[in-house]
Amino acid sequence: MKEEKVSCKEVMHHICDNLGEDLDSPKCRAIKEHLDNCENCQKYFDSVEKTIKFYQMYNVELKEEAHKRLLDYLGLE
Amino acid sequence: MDEKELIKKAQNGDRKALAELVRKYEQTIYNFSFKICRDKEKAEHAMQETFMSMIKNIGQFSGKSKLSTWLYTIVSNHCLMMARASKNKTFASLDDEDALIDEKNIAEWKITPQNIAENNELKNLLDKAIDKLPYDYRIVFLLRDVEGLSTAETGQIVKLSVPAVKSRLHRARAFLRNELNKMFLQ
Repeated sequence: MKEEKVSCKEVMHHICDNLGEDLDSPKCRAIKEHLDNCENCQKYFDSVEKTIKFYQMYNVELKEEAHKRLLDYLGLE
Repeated sequence: MDEKELIKKAQNGDRKALAELVRKYEQTIYNFSFKICRDKEKAEHAMQETFMSMIKNIGQFSGKSKLSTWLYTIVSNHCLMMARASKNKTFASLDDEDALIDEKNIAEWKITPQNIAENNELKNLLDKAIDKLPYDYRIVFLLRDVEGLSTAETGQIVKLSVPAVKSRLHRARAFLRNELNKMFLQ
C-alpha cells in the first residue's frame, strides 16, 4: 500500500467527522490544541497506525499446489 | 477482456471465463480468508467454498456491486460459519469502550513494520492478538483497515450501518493496539 501524505487539516476533518462535529466547533478546536501538545496522544496514534500496518503487511501466498487443488475442486481443469 | 465481459460469459456457462475470474481473485480471497481464520488449512477450505458459491450463483450476480465486494461477502460468511462450528472458543468483550483506551500504558513502540515476512516472532504475536478479537469485529477491521475498502462497502458486506462500522472499527483498533502494547512491553 502506498504511503499517503495527509495534512493536519485532513486529520482533523477525519477525527471531527467521526465525532459528528464541524471542524471549527469548540470541541474540535479543543481537540486540535490538545493533539498539538500531547506527547501521549501522539504516541498512541503512532501505535494504532503501526498496528494497522503490521496486519496489512502480514500476507500469505497461495501456493501452486493449492491453486491446482482449487481448480480441481471446482472442476475447472 | 474486461471484467464485465468475463462475468457475462461466465453467466452464460463459459468455463474458461469462470476459471479466469477464479485466477483473478484467488490470491486476494485466500489471503483475506487466512487473515480471518489465521490457519492455512481453514483458509484454503473457505476459499474453495467461496469460489464454489461463486460458480453456483454467478447467474444471480446483478453487477450492482463490484465482484470483489460480492466475493468478500461470501468468504466472510464462510469464515463466520466455520468459526461458529468450533464453539469452544471464547473471545474478549469489547462492550466497555472506555476500558479500551488504556491511558496508563502509552509507550513509544520501537518496533517498525518492516521485514515482517521474515519476522516469525512478530507474526506469532499478531496471530495471538487477533485471535482474541470476536469475528464480527475482526471482519470489520480487516475489510476497512487492512483491505482498504470504504466504510460504506464494509457496511454493505457485514450488513451494518456506517456509524456501526465506525464504532466496531474504533473498538477493534483499540483492542488490537492494547494487546500488542502488552506484548511489546513485556
